[in-house]
Formats: sequence, C-alpha cells, structure tokens
Amino acid sequence: MSLSNILNNWSHYRRGAEEGGHHTYEHRWAMAINLDMCIGCNACSTACYSENNLAVVGREKFDKGQAMHWLRLERYWDEDSAEKEFPDSGAKFLPMMCQQCGSATCEPVCPVAATYHTPDGLNAQVYNRCIGSRYCSNNCPFRVRYFNFYSYYETSWPEPLNLQLNPDITVRDKGVMEKCTFCVQRIRTAQDTAKMADRNIIDGEFTTACAQACPTSAIVFGDTMDADSQVTRLWKKHQVVRHTTKQDKRNPELRGYRIFEELNVDPSIMYLERVRDTEV
Amino acid sequence: MSGPVKRRDFLKIMGATGVGGTLAGCDLPSTVTLEEGKEDVVSYFMPEEYVIPGVGVWFASTCMQCTAGCGVHGRIREGRVLKIEGNPDSPVNKGKTCQMGQAGLQGHYNPDRIKEPMMREGGKLSAVTWEKAMGVLKEKTASAGNKVAWFSGTVSGHQSALISNYLDSVGASKNHYTHEIVNSAVWQAVNRDMLGDSMPKLDIENAALVLSFGADFLGTWMSPVHFAGKWAKFRSVSSGPGRGTLIQVESKMSLTGGNADLWVAVRPGSEGAFALGLANYILMSSPEAGNSLSGELKTHIASFDMDTVSKLTGTSQDYIKRVGDALINRSPSLVLAGASVEGHEHGYDAVAAVMLLNVMLGNIGKTIQPSSPSPFQQLEARQGGTRDLVEFSKAATAKEFDVVFFSGANPVFTAPESLGLTKALENTGFKVAISTFPDDTTMQADLVLPLASYIEDWGTHVPAYQGDGNVLSIQQPLMEKLYSGTKGLGDLLLELLKDKNPGQYGAYKDYYAYLQDAIKTMQGSSSVKGREANNKNFWNSTLQAGVINIEGGNKKFALNNVDIKVPVSASDSDYPYYLVPSPRMGLFDGRHANLPWLQESPDQIAKIAWKSWVEIHPSTAKKLGVERGDIIELSSEHGSIEAEVYTMKSIHPDAIAVPLGQGHEEYGRFAKGLGVNPLKILTAKTDRKTGELAMYATRIKAKATGRSEFVRMRGNKTQGGRKFVRTINVDLLKRTEGA
Repeated sequence: MSLSNILNNWSHYRRGAEEGGHHTYEHRWAMAINLDMCIGCNACSTACYSENNLAVVGREKFDKGQAMHWLRLERYWDEDSAEKEFPDSGAKFLPMMCQQCGSATCEPVCPVAATYHTPDGLNAQVYNRCIGSRYCSNNCPFRVRYFNFYSYYETSWPEPLNLQLNPDITVRDKGVMEKCTFCVQRIRTAQDTAKMADRNIIDGEFTTACAQACPTSAIVFGDTMDADSQVTRLWKKHQVVRHTTKQDKRNPELRGYRIFEELNVDPSIMYLERVRDTEV
Repeated sequence: MSGPVKRRDFLKIMGATGVGGTLAGCDLPSTVTLEEGKEDVVSYFMPEEYVIPGVGVWFASTCMQCTAGCGVHGRIREGRVLKIEGNPDSPVNKGKTCQMGQAGLQGHYNPDRIKEPMMREGGKLSAVTWEKAMGVLKEKTASAGNKVAWFSGTVSGHQSALISNYLDSVGASKNHYTHEIVNSAVWQAVNRDMLGDSMPKLDIENAALVLSFGADFLGTWMSPVHFAGKWAKFRSVSSGPGRGTLIQVESKMSLTGGNADLWVAVRPGSEGAFALGLANYILMSSPEAGNSLSGELKTHIASFDMDTVSKLTGTSQDYIKRVGDALINRSPSLVLAGASVEGHEHGYDAVAAVMLLNVMLGNIGKTIQPSSPSPFQQLEARQGGTRDLVEFSKAATAKEFDVVFFSGANPVFTAPESLGLTKALENTGFKVAISTFPDDTTMQADLVLPLASYIEDWGTHVPAYQGDGNVLSIQQPLMEKLYSGTKGLGDLLLELLKDKNPGQYGAYKDYYAYLQDAIKTMQGSSSVKGREANNKNFWNSTLQAGVINIEGGNKKFALNNVDIKVPVSASDSDYPYYLVPSPRMGLFDGRHANLPWLQESPDQIAKIAWKSWVEIHPSTAKKLGVERGDIIELSSEHGSIEAEVYTMKSIHPDAIAVPLGQGHEEYGRFAKGLGVNPLKILTAKTDRKTGELAMYATRIKAKATGRSEFVRMRGNKTQGGRKFVRTINVDLLKRTEGA
C-alpha cells in the first residue's frame, strides 16, 4: 500500500465498516456457533491446543491468570442467580475466540503492523514482527489475545512431547502476542490444494480444529463469500448481516446475533441464542 | 501352526466362539505373511510410497482414553502422529472427539513413560532386561499354579479373549477382575433383571423429555461423544418430536446438568425416593399406569407422598410437581439413572425405581430399545465396576493369589483406604504391572512391564454401548514405537500363552500375525458386513475403515418385576454431609491427570484447573464459617482430606463435592503431588444387591482450618448485564425455526 495509492484512493480507504469497508476480499471466513447445541465440554479448546501448538503454562502461572487458550469456554450463571438458591436452568456456555473482526480494534493500534487484515478477512498476527507492546490486547473487547509473558515452550513440551508439535505452524516465544487464526494453516493448505487442482475451495472440504472436534457440531465454519456454503446459509437464515452496528432483521425473533457488534467492530462470528424450556 | 488344531479350539483361540454355525469355512490359513508386520526404519531419501514429506496421511485406529471405543483418525507426517480426529465411519462417534480423545497424543508422547522393564530388588524398582523379566515371570507363574489373577480395566476384543484364554490355561478362569471407578454397573444389573437386556439402546434423539437422575451422559456416562451426537438431534427443533427438554436431578451439577432446562438439586441418596414420589404422583393422575405393578410395590410407592419426598430429598414440592407434570404431559420420555443414584446401599433399588418410571410411562420399546446381541460373544466388552475391586481386595487379603497382573487399571489410586487394598497387596506374592506410566499401582509392583502406548499398539475393541449398530473397532499403530523397550498388550499376552500352550499359539510370530488371522476368521462369518465386496483385500480395507460392521441379532425385552425398597426415612449420623466424589470429562477418574492439556483445561462448571477444591453451597459455607479460598478439612470415619473451598450454588446444601482426578502419589511430573483424592476417605459400604461400592454414600464432617489460599477461577460468574449469551424461550424457537 504505497503512499500514492492511499492519496489517490483516499475516499475509498475512508469508508468505514458500516459503509462496507474498504477491503476487497477473496474469501471471508466466518463462523456460526449454536449456543443451544454447545454443551460446554471443552473438546474444541483441547483440539485447538493440539492443532495450534498452544503452550501449557503450568499451575503457578495459571493461578496468576495466564493461559494460552485461544479458544476458551466461558461459563455464566443466570443474571438473577444472586437471588436464587439454585441455578435451576443450568449453566450458560460460551465458546469465545478471536472474532476475526471486519474492522478490528486490535489492528490500527499496533505500532509495527504486526497485526493486520488479510485479504480473506482474518486478523493475522505476524509473530516475527510483534514487539510485545500489548496495545492490541488492551484494545480487544473480547479479550482473546494472549501474550507470551514467558518462554512457555521451555516447560510446556518436555521431550518427547515436542514431537507432537504441528510442523505447519510455529512455536511462539516470550514477548509475542498470539491468538486464534481460524486455523490459517488449514485454510492455506486447502487453498493450495484447490489451486493445484484448478478449482475453487469446496465448502466443507476442510474446517477448523474446533469445528471438526465439536461433538454436537455446534460450530460451523466456512466462507461467507461462497453463497452456497453452510455458514452463509445460516447467516442468511438468521438474517444477520455484516457492516452494521445493529441488525435490522425482517424477523427480529430470529436467534442470530454478534457479540459487541454495537462497538462497530464487525465480528465474523454469529452466535445463535441459547434456548431454555421455561414451561417445565 | 504345529500339530492339528481342532475347529472348536481354533475358534476359541481366534476369539470367535459364539459364532455358531455362521462360519462359512474353517480352513486354516496356510501361511501368515509376516512381511507386512515388519518394522523398518525408512530413510526420507527413499520414502515409502505413501510418505510424502510435508504431507499428512491419515490412518484409522481406536481411542482408548475411556471405555466408549470411539473410532479415530491420526494424522501422520514424517513418521510422527500429530493430531487425532474422529473417524466418520465409526457408528460410535461419527467423526467427532472429546477433549480426552484429543489429548491421547500427550499420553503417547508423555515424558514420564516407562521405557524398560523394572523389577523390585532390595525394595527398589530397577531396570532389567526383557529376558530376565520374562524369565522371572514364567518361573513365578509356573509355581503359582492357579493362584494367578488378572486385574484390569474394561477390556474387549481379542485382548480380552486372550486374557481369558491365558487364565483358562493356568486354571484360573474366574480370576479376571475388571474394575472401573466410573461405570454403570448397577444400571446394567437393573436392566438385566427388569428388561432382560443389560445395555438397552437409549433413543435420546426421539424423546420429547429426558429426565436424568445424575446420568452425566454428555460428560462421563457410557459413551459421551455418541450421546452428544444424539443430543444435537434431540435439541434440534426441526427433527423428531421437536426440541427435547432435559430435566436433571442430582446433588452436584454435572456437565449434563449444566445443559438442563430444569436442574433440581437433591440430597445425595434420595434420588430413589424422588423417583418413587414421581411414581406416586403419576399414579394419582392416571392409576392405569400402575397396572403391571404388584400390590406390595404400590403400597411402597404410596408411602412416598409429596411431604415425605420433599423432606427426604431436601427439595421443594414445587420442583417435584413440576417434574411430575412434565413426565405426565410429555411423551415419549426417557428416564435415566447415573452413578450418583447407583452409589448407595440401596443403589439397585433406587435405579430400579427410576426404571419403573420408564415402565409406567410406556417408554420401554419406544425410547428404550433392545440391544443387538453380537455373534462374537467372546469379543464383547468385559465391563468394569467396583464390585470386582471389593472382591479382589477380599481375595487378596485372604492371600488367594501368588501372582497378580495389573493392566489398564490403577486400584492403588481408586481404592478407598477402608477396603484395605494396600495391606492386601502386601500379602500378594508377586505383582506384575503392565503399564505405560509409572502410576500409583505400577510403582508398588514387583515387576513392571512397559506397555506400548495405545497409539503404538495393535488391538480390537468392542464398544460396551452400541447405539447405532454393532462394530468391532480396529486399533492399529499410528506410528513406530517411541521406545523399543516397550511391548504391546497383545504381544505380551501371546508370549504368556505361547509359554503355556505352544501348540496353539506357537506359530504366531507376534500379535499382528495373530490379529490378521483372527480378522480373516471373522471374514468367514455371515454377520460381518461388507466382507464379500473386496474379499482379497478384507484385511487392508478393514484397516483403512478402522471398523468392521457386524450384523447384530434381534432381541426382545423380557419384562420382569423386581423388588424395590427405598428407605422412607433419612438416616441420622454424626457426619452431617455427604461426600460427592465427582468425575468430569477431562481428568475422568484420574487416569488423565498426567496430560497437561487436560490439567490446564478448567472444570466445565467450576472453571478451576490444576488443583483440587471443595465445592459447597454458599449457605453451607456460611454455616461452616468459611469463604472461597479457605482451606477446609473433610473427615469421614476413614480419614480426612483438605482442600480450598469454592462456593457454588450448583450443589445441594447437604452435599460436599470434591472432584476426582487429583491426589496421585505417583504418575509422573504433571500429576504427582497435586491436590487430593476423595476416593481415599470413602466408607467401604456396598450396594446390597449388586455388591458395587456405594461411592456416593460416604458421610463426612467439615471443619475450617483457619488457613486459606487463593483460588483462581476463570472468567466471571455473570455477564454483568451485558448479553454475551442470550437466552430465549423454546416457544420462540418453535415459532421461528420449528418444522
């Protein structure tokens, strides 16, 4: 992006997310997570550890609030739980990972452009470039960026545990920010395979580690620029659109919503509301 | 194979008795190709045909992280296995995995694996050669005669057949003890007696209402990934009877309870009374539901009126009525009973009371279907429970065994002190641990035989619960052995059998050769699906698919009435609280405490990791004068444990829960010395009818110690008014997405 390009196309680059943004996308990876299917079992989270070389910080550092779980399972109780004797409608589970925002708050604050927007809509993190300012993490409303305060790898994979490490991606060292990538290594492999076969990526030919493991198939991953993909159909079914801070649904009762979209971050994950039968 | 082998013997050797007349031919294969089983180191310069550097190849195998028997695929690159995924061809898990399955790799690559045989000399375990180890073992077993026992976890398939054959060969057929602390033994016993089928199929997806008494079917019960798949259909608004409703009745919220539409907290041990109270409630509105019940039983049920049940369960009448109305108004329903119902002296009766609801509501034959008996009975799962632990402790105390083999079980960790197992093991002449890890039991053994990880081993497995068709799941190595000093379980068994019975087993070079023959034998059975299609390649296609689908027989329920006597009054005790030793998906019964991914994965409900804690209701905490983080001492008649208090409302005020899994005295760097083991202080009461350990019946006292520690919980309790997880009512869902 040269200076002349910016100057010549100023009005284009000035377009905010609500006006469609200025990016020209090749793919637009997205998810739909059905919170009525999610049982909170942690399978997705452990699958992510396995796929993405996530370090284990150990007991003491965990107690200090550190952990590198790119995908974490949050558990909430009902808002009126303080008055109730028992949580009689169960718990609320929320798989929370990077929402790969269309206008991500983490991106513009990076002093070295280590976090940037890819042509397929991911908030990528260049580990080599990261200087550990942690501005991105401070600016992320979802709290899904994880900082390597220590060289966790030194204790995380005593030999021969290191043999399990996925050679498709790196191991991160102290001073580097890391986050969910939507399993970018799987995306790139699928892109390469499709390119070699001279075809487009077929919906469902690959998926992220979390979606693949999920025992109830609560997580659906795909390309929203593919009109026939399952994820596109789900977004359409629930009348959730991008580039907005407030969904204007024809049928406002539909379950789809995006967390913190009112902050104009344009998240790429649509959640479907949890359901409870209050008749019993 | 040397010498003539009779057909009957051959079938037995091959684990195929029970096939009856279904074998098409019984010719012995004349040659066994050992070439395919050869292990070679392959240079990258001349890679095998299927090895492309940088490209992952997937091989099918079977997960052994719990007893469910899910099919898995392992991604292999440059000779290393890197990732586990579910095998879509397995009817058990249909391509999905749980977190324990994912973490199988950390067991395989665990830095604390045993790499060579060890023998106790001068009170200390020290390394010996395999020759010496096997020499001593053969000597010991030869002199032991029939005083040999095998203590294992749940086993199935050809390994199970070989264990039986080995014990037969030494005349100790009865001495196979199978033990699992997380089990469904009483449930099976009740079903066997009431339905004539110990493992009926549970049609969760077609139920409009599931009422589960402590059955954690999404977390630790029978086959969690299978049930999670069923759950997705159960919750789907557009299939079956629409979105099903779950009511969970238990004393401590399980993962399944966390997903309930209505979660009801009850006093531990009162689930049977709750069930009979519901039976009473149903009979009042529709007396014809009790047509098949005996007069005696009806009288017993009548004593469980609303007041009594509310008092016994420590639950409001409103909740009981709500559950009763749901049962009456919603059909078809399905009522389940889990470990917390089973684990009492009247556990059998309580589970029977729960099953009685299914009978009265007409669920038998609808949401509860007969299982399909497998034609390969010898391969069926030998499922573990806790009765065998109790029986074994007794027998060992009576010095009945000179040699005991331990494989796939860790009784030194799981046995309550009150069973006296530690003492009993001292009385056992020669303890042989066949183990991958230096766990609590292994470190007390006299001889330690290092076992290959399940990812390096051959085997076959029959899932204990087969909801969607019978299957034999194949376990094949996903990579070469990390340590040449380890052996597979099948290889070890074969070696033991060769020693006792060289005529029949001598011809097999290794377990691989045996298994290949055994699978080819199965090909002759008309019950095996898909055997004709690719006859010559049956072995290869079996390995590729990872499963052999088997045509199960048809079975009909044989309904019987059983006596049900549930205590009508609560027993008083100096020990006011009940101890709930709660398992969770993750650490499970403690076997996964050495896997760092699972240690760092917080408890699904409490969101605490890397430690033990004591879960108590805030009202109980107030009574005891303790707060979150205070260290509390819990004592039963058999000892005491200490851990940090964590107050949660997801528990009955009379229950105190301590999660299972921690408190290992051995088990490698990630598990050793972490937290406490609640199993240790259990009272060794047993269920009156089945002899299973009453795991949830231990009464305890609680006392503040005055010390405290910081408890890190992940995340927040509430959303602080923000709407991260939004919840709607089911009516709205029906309106928008209903069929």
